[in-house]
Amino acid sequence: MLELRRETTSQIYAHAMKEFPNECCGAILTDGTKDCVRRCNNIQNERHAEDPATYPRDARTAYLMDPNDLIKIHREVDTKGTQIKAFYHSHPNEDAYFSDKDKTDATEPWGLPNYPDTVYVVISLYDRQINVARAYSWDDNAEDFVEVPINSVA
Amino acid sequence: MAVTVRIPTPLRKLTNDQAEVDAVGATIENIIENLESNYAGIKERICDEAGNIRRFVNIYLNDEDIRFLDGTTTTVSDGDEVSIIPAIAGGASV
Repeated sequence: MLELRRETTSQIYAHAMKEFPNECCGAILTDGTKDCVRRCNNIQNERHAEDPATYPRDARTAYLMDPNDLIKIHREVDTKGTQIKAFYHSHPNEDAYFSDKDKTDATEPWGLPNYPDTVYVVISLYDRQINVARAYSWDDNAEDFVEVPINSVA
Repeated sequence: MAVTVRIPTPLRKLTNDQAEVDAVGATIENIIENLESNYAGIKERICDEAGNIRRFVNIYLNDEDIRFLDGTTTTVSDGDEVSIIPAIAGGASV
């Protein structure tokens, strides 16, 4: 189960709406009691422009978290003793499923979950209107990502 | 040069569950070779057949992505930290 404060949910929703029609991405860090949202750059458009053969999709249907943002998150975890509670991204004009690409990329390049203890949150929105968010995490028994309930708290 | 290397969770079975290991070498390329000599199989996880860093693998020297330095020929200094961190990516069904 993923427990999310309404304030945290509001922040990731605001990010998804701001980036529409592109996918947004980021992380939710926690110190055990308080969560904080770290918005990250989605650099999919840059990679797509540089190398469309390798990156056939643009940011409307894909995300690639800026490596500079990713290292900052890891540094924050190292220095402040926080943990990565969840990574999030949005699906503009699509539902909040965990797609084949979401699964594949979360296990690239070694065929193993890169973050087996971290939840992935997917936000569905249509025309800047939030539809729903769902959460997924790796399940050792299923050897797959499975949906986990989101418990919304005040 | 002696550096510390951060190992991502999926590769820790190669490093006896260690999240950080020591390595020596003058460049990132040397560091990867040195890791391979101690933890067989790790090089092919990090590099493709041509010796390039795999697309979903980010390697950082301290806080800098080596793509924006000199790639695998980037030189390292004593006490540096090298981090191997898989990319975070995905996207909707199309």
